[in-house]
This record gives sequence, C-alpha cells and structure tokens, in this order.
Amino acid sequence: MNYTSRANNYPLYIRSVPTQNELKFHYTVHTSLDVVEEKISAVGKSLGDQRELYLGLLYPTEDYKVYGYVTNSKVKFVIVVDSSNTSLRDNEIRSMFRKLHNSFTDVMCNPFHNPGDQIQSKAFDGIVSGMMVQTG
Amino acid sequence: MAQCVQSVQEFVQDSFVPMVAVLCSEEAERVTRKNNLNFAELLRPFCRLTSEGHMRDPNNQVQVVKNLRIFVNNVVTSPNRPPTALSHAQSKILNEVVLSCQPQEGVVNNVVTAGDYDLNFSATTPWFETYRENFLQSMPASDHEFLNHYLACLLVVSSTEAVPVEQFLKLSQEQHRIQHSGEYTNPKWFIPNTLKYYVLLHDMSEGDEQRADAVYEDMKQRYGSQGCYLLKMNTRSFSAEGDEQIPDPWSQYLQRNILHTQVRTAIGDLNGVSGSLESHPLQLDITSSSGSLHTLGAVKTELKKGARDPESLAGGAGSHGACLTLNDHDHIRQFIQEFTFRGLLPHIEKNIRQLNDQSRFTKSLITSIDRILSGSFSENMVYPPEAPELQIRKMADLCFLVQHYELAYSCYHTAKKDFLSDQAMLYAAGALEMAAVSAFLQAGAPRPYPAHYMDTAIQTYRDVCKNMVLAERCVLLNAEILKSQGKYSDAATLLIKMTSEDSDLRSALLLEQAAHCFINMRNPMVRKFAFHMILAGHRFSKAGQRRHALRCYCQAMQVYKERSWSLAEDHINFTIGRQSFTLRQPEKAVIAFRQILTNDSRQTATQQSAFLREYLYVYKVTTSAQKIHLPQLPLPCIHCSATRVYFGHERRLAEGEKQAATHVSLDQEYDQDSADMWCHLEEQLVAAANRGIVPVNFQPTQCCLNSQTDNQRHPLAVVEEPIIVEVTFRNPLKVSLALSNLSLLWRFTADDAPPSKEKMTNELAITNEEILALGVGVTVYSGFFVLCCHINIHSVDLLLPTGQQTFDVMVVHGKQDLMIQGPRLNQTKEDKMTVRHGHDQRLNFIVTSPMPLMEIFFLQFPTALLCGEIRKAYVEFCNVSSVALCGLRVVSTHPDFFSFGSQATTPLTPVSPTSAENNSAYKTLATPPQSGSAAFEMLVSAEDFSQPSGVIDIPIDGSTLQPGESTQLPLWLRGPDQEGVHEINFLFYYESTGKGNKISHRVLRHTVFICASRSLSVQASACRSCVPPHHSLGDKGGGGTLIFIDVENINMSEAGMREFHIVQVSSSSQHWRLHKCINPAKDKDCKLTSRERAKLCFRATRCKPQKGTPYRINKPYLSIISSSTPCGDFFFRGCQTSESQRLDAPSSRTSCSSKSQSCVSTEDRSSDITNIVRKCNELDLNIIVIWKAYVVEDNKQLILEGQLHVALQTIGKEASSLTPREEAQEMVLLKFKSQLPPPVILPSAELSQLVKTSLHYPETYTHPFVQDSLCVVPVTLTLSNCSLAQVDVIIDLRHKGTSPETLEVHSSFTWVGQTQYKLQLKPQEVLCLTLQACFLQAGVYNLNTPRVFAKPAEQGAMCETSQQTASPSLIFINNA
Repeated sequence: MNYTSRANNYPLYIRSVPTQNELKFHYTVHTSLDVVEEKISAVGKSLGDQRELYLGLLYPTEDYKVYGYVTNSKVKFVIVVDSSNTSLRDNEIRSMFRKLHNSFTDVMCNPFHNPGDQIQSKAFDGIVSGMMVQTG
Repeated sequence: MAQCVQSVQEFVQDSFVPMVAVLCSEEAERVTRKNNLNFAELLRPFCRLTSEGHMRDPNNQVQVVKNLRIFVNNVVTSPNRPPTALSHAQSKILNEVVLSCQPQEGVVNNVVTAGDYDLNFSATTPWFETYRENFLQSMPASDHEFLNHYLACLLVVSSTEAVPVEQFLKLSQEQHRIQHSGEYTNPKWFIPNTLKYYVLLHDMSEGDEQRADAVYEDMKQRYGSQGCYLLKMNTRSFSAEGDEQIPDPWSQYLQRNILHTQVRTAIGDLNGVSGSLESHPLQLDITSSSGSLHTLGAVKTELKKGARDPESLAGGAGSHGACLTLNDHDHIRQFIQEFTFRGLLPHIEKNIRQLNDQSRFTKSLITSIDRILSGSFSENMVYPPEAPELQIRKMADLCFLVQHYELAYSCYHTAKKDFLSDQAMLYAAGALEMAAVSAFLQAGAPRPYPAHYMDTAIQTYRDVCKNMVLAERCVLLNAEILKSQGKYSDAATLLIKMTSEDSDLRSALLLEQAAHCFINMRNPMVRKFAFHMILAGHRFSKAGQRRHALRCYCQAMQVYKERSWSLAEDHINFTIGRQSFTLRQPEKAVIAFRQILTNDSRQTATQQSAFLREYLYVYKVTTSAQKIHLPQLPLPCIHCSATRVYFGHERRLAEGEKQAATHVSLDQEYDQDSADMWCHLEEQLVAAANRGIVPVNFQPTQCCLNSQTDNQRHPLAVVEEPIIVEVTFRNPLKVSLALSNLSLLWRFTADDAPPSKEKMTNELAITNEEILALGVGVTVYSGFFVLCCHINIHSVDLLLPTGQQTFDVMVVHGKQDLMIQGPRLNQTKEDKMTVRHGHDQRLNFIVTSPMPLMEIFFLQFPTALLCGEIRKAYVEFCNVSSVALCGLRVVSTHPDFFSFGSQATTPLTPVSPTSAENNSAYKTLATPPQSGSAAFEMLVSAEDFSQPSGVIDIPIDGSTLQPGESTQLPLWLRGPDQEGVHEINFLFYYESTGKGNKISHRVLRHTVFICASRSLSVQASACRSCVPPHHSLGDKGGGGTLIFIDVENINMSEAGMREFHIVQVSSSSQHWRLHKCINPAKDKDCKLTSRERAKLCFRATRCKPQKGTPYRINKPYLSIISSSTPCGDFFFRGCQTSESQRLDAPSSRTSCSSKSQSCVSTEDRSSDITNIVRKCNELDLNIIVIWKAYVVEDNKQLILEGQLHVALQTIGKEASSLTPREEAQEMVLLKFKSQLPPPVILPSAELSQLVKTSLHYPETYTHPFVQDSLCVVPVTLTLSNCSLAQVDVIIDLRHKGTSPETLEVHSSFTWVGQTQYKLQLKPQEVLCLTLQACFLQAGVYNLNTPRVFAKPAEQGAMCETSQQTASPSLIFINNA
C-alpha cells in the first residue's frame, strides 16, 4: 500500500508501507505522472473548471493498481495499491482521495508551511497512516 | 522508437530480398582472394540495382521493379533443422554488434523540451539498427516461409582453369547434390529447379583474354546467352599499386559480412560441419575471450569510421579490391544487372506464372481432399513441400520479393485462410505477418494497415509456436511500421510486451526503443521515457553492455535529477558510478558517487555505508592513478562559516598558585554584548594612551574571528605566534566516519623566503550526525624578518577512513576547500535585488613583525569576598616575547573593585606572598595613640587617589618590561557592595617600545567572577543637636550635628561563625569632621555576632572649608591610617563611581561635594528657594566604617577586614551602605496622557530647618516670691542661620493659644520686654537674643513658646514657617 501526493512534479510527500522496496514505488509514482498529465490534457480543455478531480485508475501493472487525483491547483495525488486487494473499489479510493485532499488543504492553510516544501505535518501523517491501516 | 537512417519502406523491403547462392571453384576463389574478398563479398556493394526492372505478372500486366536489392551469399551447408531461438553463438555475435556500435563522442545530441524538462539525447540509435539488420540477416531459413530461401545459384569458375566447362559441370552437380540429396536441410532452396547462372571469372592480369572469350562463346552455346556471363576483373596488377585512390565500397559491408559469415561459421562449427570458408583474414574464433572481441570491436569501429571517410581507408594495407579499377567496379555492377534482369527476374516471372496456374488448378480440389484425408490437425502440423497451400505461399513470397505487393497480399490472404482452417498456426502466423507487411507496402494504400494481423502473428509466434526469433522479427517490423504511422503508444506497448527474461540484450534494446517511443509522442511522456530508459539500462548491464547501460542511465538521470526524487536519484547515481567505474572512467564514477553522498540522503544506514564503501574504493583507485593534486572529498561537510580563527598560543590557565589571565579562548562563545563591552574598554585605553583622543583608524583587537566578527579586513598575525583554526565538520550520514591526519593546507606569498610550516595532526571520529569542531594549528616560523606576507588557508586536507570495526578500514586521502563567504550585502539596490556576499578575510592573514607578548598571572586572587572586604592579592606581569613592552594600562568594568595603590603611598618593594599572609591589608600607625584622645586628622588630596578616567596606569619599574622580565605588583581588592556574583572584566593594554608597527598595541583580557556575600549593613543619619555644645565652647555652637551609625551584622552564613568588630570609623568631608564618640555605652570595641545590631553615635562639627585640601579624614579612635593606600583608594574610587552614577542620572539632585559646584549653586540661590533650603540641610559627610571579621574556615580562624562607606547627604535623611535594590520594573499599563506633575509645595519640614533656635536659661531658678512676686528670668534665645542665605526672622513672643486651657497655663508666665523682633540673619550667623521671662509663682514652666518665623531674604512671598522645636524647654522655678 503506497500513498503519495505531489505538486508540480516534485514530490511533496511520499509514504509507503511496507518500507522495503521503496525505490520501486518511487519509480512507479514518478512514471504515473505522465499518465496523469495525459489525462489532464485530454479532459481539461473540454470541461474547463468543472472537471472531475478524480482521474480513476491510471494504469494497472502486474502487481499494483495506480490511481490518480488532481486538485484544481494541479497538485497530484497518486495512490498505489496492491492488485490483490479487492476490498478497495473505485468509491473507496475516491473517498480516500477526498480525505487526502482535505488534509492537504489543511496543511496548506498552515501559515508556516512554505508551499513547495516537503510536507512535514503530523496531522497529515496521521491521516495517511490511518488510511493505510484501515485499508490494510 | 528512435529515428532511423532508412525509411520504413526501405527497411521492410531490405528485410526481405531475393537470396542468391554462390558456388565457386577453387581457382575462382583464388582470383577473388587477391582482392582480399571472396566472390560473394566482391559482389555485395553492387547488389542494389539502380535501374528499374520490368516483369509481367500472371495477368500479363507489366510490373516495375524499383530499387531491387539481391543478397549474394556463399553456400554453407548444415544438416540441422533451424532452431526456434537464436543460438548462443548468434546471440553473442549480436551482442558484439551492439557493443561495437556506440554513439559517437561529440556528436551533437538533439534537445527535447517537454514541459519543464530539457532532455539531451541522441535521436538515432544506430546500435539498434545494426542489431536489427544483423538479426534479420541471421534469421534461419524455415520451412513455413520461403523468403530467405535461395532463388538462384551463381556458379563461378575462373578462366585460368584448364577446362572451365568441366568445372561448371562439377559445380552444377554439386549444387544439385546439395539441394536434392536430402543430406542438408540448410541451405534451403526456393524452387526445385534452382536458377543456375554460370559466371566465368577472368583475371586480366593473369590469363589469356582471348581464351576466356573463347570459353565464354562456348558457354553461350551451351547455356544460352542469358544463363552465363564473363566477368573480367583484376585489371590492376597487385604489385602495381598506384597512387590512384579508389573508393572502397566494401568497407561498409564488410563488417556486416564478417559477422554474417561468422554467424554462419559459428553455426557450422557448432554443428561439427565446417563451412566452405576455411580462412577469412579477419575471421576470429568467436569462442575466445572477450579480449579478442574487444580488438574486434576496435577493428569494427575503425571500419565504421572508414565508412564515413572512405579516402582514409582506401590506401591502407589490407584494404579490399586492391586489384580492381573503377572499370572493374563497373563490370561487376553490369554483371549484377545482367544477372538480375536477364536471369533472375525472368526466372521468378516464370515461376510465378507456373505457381499461379498450378494453384488455380489444384486449390479447390486438393485442399479439400487433403483435409478430409489427413483429418488430424495440430499446431505443429507440417505440410509436405508440394502442398498446394505452400505453393500459394511460395507464390506470395515470390511476388513479394519482386515488389508485386498487391498480388502478394491476396496470395498471403488466401494462404492465411487455408492455414487457419488447417490450424497450422506457424504457417498462418507467417502468412498473417507477410499479409500485413505487403498491405502496408502497397502503394496508394487501398486498405488500411491490418495491425491486428500483426498482433495475432506475434501472439501466435510467441505463445503457440514458442518461436521467439520470429516473434521478434514480427515485432521489429510492426513497431517500425507503427512508428511510421505515428502510433507510438502502440509501438511502445508492443516493444515492452516483447521483452522477456530469455534475452537481456533484446529486452534492453526494445525497452530503449519503447522509451524513445514515449518521448516521441505528441505529448511527450518524459517520465515514462526515463523509467523505461532505466529498465533498458538495467537490461543492458545484465547483457554486459556496460556502455549502453551507462548511456541509458545518464539519459534517465536528466529527468530525475534535482527533482527531489532522492531515492531514485541515488539509485541512478549509484548505477552510473558503478558502470563508469567498470568502464574505466573513475572520474565520472567519483562524481556520481559524490552526488549520492552530498545529497541529503533518505537511505538507510546500511545502504549509506554501502554507498560510502563503494565511493571510497572508487576514490582510492582514482587518486592512486593520479597523484598530482588531492581531489575534493564530499564528506564530511565543512561548515565554512563556522570556522573560527584564533591568534595566539593555547593559554595555560593556571600554573601552580598562579592563575593566568583568562584572555580569549576558543571555548568562549561569541557574544555581541561582551564584544561591545571589550571594544568600549579598549577604546578607553587607546584614548588614554593617545592623550584622550581615539585615533581615526582605531580597530578593536580581535583575537578570535568567527562568523559574527567583522572580517572585512585582513587580520594581522604576528610572526612566530601560532594561529589556531577551528573547523567545524558535520557528518550527514547515518554511518560514522573517522578522520585522521588532518592538516591545513596553506599558501604563502612573500618577497622573502617562505617560512617553514608546522602541521598539527589530530585523530578523531565523527559519528553519525554529529557536529564536531576541532582546532588545527599552524605556527608560522621565520628565520627572517618577514615584513608582510599573506597566508591564505584554503582547504583542509584530510584522510577519510570509514570506521566499521568489522570490515577492513579503507582510508582515502583528500581535501576540502574552506571557502568562507562573507555576510550578505544589503546596502545598495543591486545588493538587495541579487544575492551578493561580502568578502571574508578571516583566513587571509597578514603576518607582521614581532610584537611583545605579555602574560599576566594573579596570585592569591579570591573568588569569594564579603561585601566591602579588602583583600590583598598580587599580580605578575611577564613579558614572554623577545620585544620589550611599555605603556602598561588597565581598565575595568568595575574600577572600584581593585587598586594598585596610589603612587605616593605605595611601597615599591615587591612583597613576597608568604610574608604578607598574616599581615593586615591596612597600615597601622607605629604607635597607637591613646584611646579616647583627640581625633586624628589628616588632610589628603583627592587627586592622589583618583584617576582621570577609568583607565589606570600600572606602576611598574621603569615603565618598560624587558623581554623575559617579569614583575609583581600588589593589588588590593574590595568586595563589591552588593551581594551576589559579579563579573568583573579587566582589559590590560601594552604596546611595543619600538614604533612603526602595524599593530599599535595589544590587549589582554581577564574576567573574574567574584561572589560577594553580605557582611554588615551600615545606616547612618545625622541630626542637629538642639543643645549647644557643652564642651567645645570655643565653637559658636551652631554647627553641632549628631551622627548616628547603625551597624548590623547581616551575614547569613551559618558555616563559619562570624563576628564583626567595628575597628574604626573615619569620616571624610570638606566641611565637617567627626568628633569623639559619644556612645552611651562606652565599649570601645564593638562586637557584632550574627544578626546583631549596634548603634554608634558621633558628633560632627563644621570646619572651615579649605581650598586644595578639601578632604579631612578623621579617625576617632584606633590607628588605621585610613588615608593611606587601600582604604583611601577604595574610598575615593567609590566616591567617584557613586558620583558619576549620580551625575548620570538626570533626575538626581545637584550634589555639592565639590567646591565649584557649591559656588554655582550660590548663584542660583536667590532665585530658588528650595535650593536654599536644601543647602541649609546639606551635610556632605562620608563615613568610612572599617571592620574586622573573625571567620572560622576549615578549623582555622581567619581575620578578614573590610570597609564600608556611607555618604550622608542631608541632615535628617538616613543613608545606608547598602544601595537599595532596584526593584524589578513591573509591567505598567501604558498611559497615553502624560500625568500632570504634582504642584510644587514647599516642604515646610525643610523650611523649618532654616534657622536653628535654642533657648539658654538656668535649669532651676530659685526666686523668693515672698519678697518679690515677680520673678524675671533672663533667657537667651540663640538663633543660628543654617543656610547660606540671608534669612529674615520674626520672633513673636506673644502667646497665641487657641484654647482657653492653654491660655490658662501660659498665663502663669509671660514674656516681658520686647515681644516681637524682626531680624535679619546673615549666612551662618549666630545671634543671641536676650529675652526676659516673668514668672508669678513657683513651678515648672515650658519656656518653649516663642514662635520663630523665618523666610529667606529677598523672597517676595512671606512664607513663614514656624521654626519652633517641639520639645518643651522646662524651667523649674523654686520658691526660695
């Protein structure tokens, strides 16, 4: 289970469970950004501001499913889950993203947070950990 | 996919060309050998036809054949069936091909800008094209397709042969044997009756041309003019190598040729059958070590270069076609053309026609019968060669080869259907593949490219037939076609799908192409590109293609670099480092590894240690290779700005009993406040040394430079004195590092000979994340007088072993630069707009001529004192340098704390510490006077003790200290008046006796902490005595004042029982002096144990002020000369400071301790009434209480002495030796309205003190009332003006009782005579009025009824005040 959020293609926050083989997840997440961009450019023009933030399944690899979400300010959230995890359906992922987005907004509201820095918020950590534990 | 040199059509066409076999006689072989080539090779450059050919299809339509290429090859026989995968040797060859084909150095890569990425990589991938070409050529011929089956056979015989025709016959039979005997499955032949083309080779240099012509005529007769050819060549003799430069068309093909033959040979070798080619000049044993492969690679690259520049290679030895002229080239070209158009194309045409007829006839019949008969279908179904399906396929292949794609497509389509219905999957896949290709190649494109055919074909090849070679071919074709159609995404998917575990090389190449596909998409997918590049790099490295792997990783690095994907970045860097190192590019490796270590790593400790070890190893190899200069080390991090520079020796703090001056050390933290304080002190000293003016260029001495000090100027270092540089290291890793053999590297610029240097070494270890500071010292020694030189410390040289106990320790040697950046400038607009930094000259010293160096030691210096305690200590000044010093001065933050004694009274003999031990600090009179005798009085000038400023000149002998000399001076200390810990700073100043030095002076700092504990509290108050003095009748009596001194022991210490003895009370004043003690209790020595309080009472009298000797020191009893050194010093010091404090405070009242000030106030007097009044009450008397304390400490009784000062300012006001503690300023609400100042009210109490009155009368008066009923008693009223102004006095004797009672009482006596007086009293005048009181009867009367009103003269308003004293004056009237 691996959660990541990033903006402007610099990683803002990466968290993965389990921690071994983290490198692979980094690569996966980084590569998925191309798909995210593709999806935005495809959707963005036609619908304008009304576009759906949730991008759905970006691509399935052999072992993982990669989901994407983009805020209106082009901050990208990527969730990578194990393919074998069948309990997570689209709706769950969607609500996870929404939760993540809310939490991210809270972080951004912190006047001491410098936008573009890595997120070092305990609250955010807690939310992410909570989601990870919950989904197992 | 990357861009290719060839177009798609060209590529696909060239992938499938008619194959022509060659059989040579030995003699012919010999002839061609002269050119270093065999016959097939000889023809190869000319195999592409430039002219158009024509042929007719089965429908008699003319078909144009353009740009046809044929492939001529020697016949290599082998009995084996074609493998479904590439043999080991083949893959090795392919590996070599790819290895040898590297991107050219210095080739300008194109830059792709995608989003915010600028990627720099080569758009073409020649290694891939080479691989593809070689792969396609090495495709084994298989049964299900005929494309690479031989269509024709060239039989070559030399004209030198005895009977060429016989040789032809022989070769023909040989060919027949190969094709039909069934011995060999390889080579495969297209059609049973293969076209045989007879070629007579004539060597112009050797043979008889006419004979050759004759033979050719014979051949024409025999084989027909279209079946034979006479090829004349070798016009140039081998020896006669002219200067003529002939282009070498072979070089381009040869490499391919070599490999190709090698592949063939290898196959042959493996199969145990040797090919017909025994020896090729460049043939190599491919199973030999990689070393020879490298040379092969080298040769190939050379050849490759040669291909670009044919001229360079043409004249070289071992070149090809040495015996061929350009004419010969034309002959060969003509021959090929002749062969193709006259022989090959008609042959194909004929066959197509034949097959067409055949198939049309048999199609419907035989297939259905066959199908019914055979019944069973399997995937591995093999058709017999004569099967009609195969005939269709054969026809399709033929059509395809001669570019009749339309027909080919329909045939393939038909065949495909048949194969599919037969479930012959391999055949079907082949047909599908070719159908798709021919559909693509059809000009005008009547139908869209059937990509699904390809997909099915690939899937079938791979999954059903498990034939990876065919699948790969199919993928390569398909990908290229998709690329041409812009379907990069599909192409990428296709390529990625084709990667598998079985071949790393193929996977790597395909992944790389996939990456190129991603970047070439309309919206370039940069990250996918990078990711697949990494995958490709990984596979390349697994395939042993290190160079390619490195290139892939480097290209991917551009995407990941500096985008805080640190784990990925580390991984790439690590791989790049490794690959670079194995490719013998250790510099690159070092750079890559450095990146990992300098980044803020998120790696685990084990990973970090692995990185570190790898780095150290690579670094070691690099540095051992080149020893010119030390390379930079990335670790540990130096905090350049935290570097501290200390000028001077490491100081020893204590030496036996001696305690050295603290001065400055590296242990001290920099503190701006204290720095300011020292600077201020130094300014005072310099001012004192320069007659009160601070020089313009004054700069405070800085002994220790750090980031906060002003480092704009070059610091001055003195020759032969050490400089200590403290460098702060930080270890960013989670692994500990051990540093050893640290030394500072420095550069020295001088016009004289350079001095020697000394390095200090240190062993130390930095554990993880520890910040460590260490000092490294450099001493500059010089045999010469170095006037001026610069030392520039630019780097730290260090050894960096990794400290893992279990592993062997690896030590590397490198350096790190110390680059100190100055503070950021923020003055001008430019500074603010950009980031600019000032200079930091911390490490750029100027070494100057020798300067004196003084050390100061303190002896018997206490750390704890009682408040006011006087202690004697000794100070020793040592000149440790070789230059004499002078001008010794000291300044302190607490000038009243110490004294060297006044010049006049100081004994100049140095006192040894031991002898002084039991002595009191005070001097006593040799003969103590009788107790109770008259007060001893001494006039002292204040100038003897006071100093012009806080700066004190230190009285040393001869005012200079010679080199090596030391002198000891006594030093008196007095405990501060306030309890608590006091920090007392001394700054000693000295200068060189020689002039013209760069450094004008030097200073030495000393800081002591004194803990003061409470001793006595002295409170004094003065009041006017109402009674005229009894004893001193000489005095007019007006000036009598009583001084009450309350002394309390407030010492809190329980440890040692302390008993205080008041030894002496001295006074000091301009106008007053203490008279004898009038204590009621007459004890002489007043003892005070803890918390005891004693009251002392003295009488003071006024005396005439005398100019010049304003102070009188008075000692009522005992014998301490309070006017001499310690006591006087401290007293006057204390006065000065308290005075200056008072002067500093703006609200303080005017003091009148000095004469001039009182004069000034005299001027003001007339106008200011309060002044006058105050003046009148002024009492400028200082009391010095000298005490002794008996303390038991460590079972030893100690006698401590001390003195306390009380300054009595005004009468009636209490003064204390303890200055009241300033209460902490509480937070006050801010008030925005200023409060109105309270209206000035004349303090009546003060005014009432203007005139002192006293009544003098006999206490008892006996009067015989019987005789005289009126008793008149004379009473003298003494009025004394206390003020310094004229005072109008009104005396009213009338009773003004308010109550009848008092009237009644007072009526008992009455004043007679004048009852009201108006007088004017001059300043300080004493006036006696004689009054008369009249009593009517005996009794006790209160005479104190006169009311005295006083007001200062010239004062408009009559502000009279009752001057009456409250106390009753009783008189006893007795009746006689």
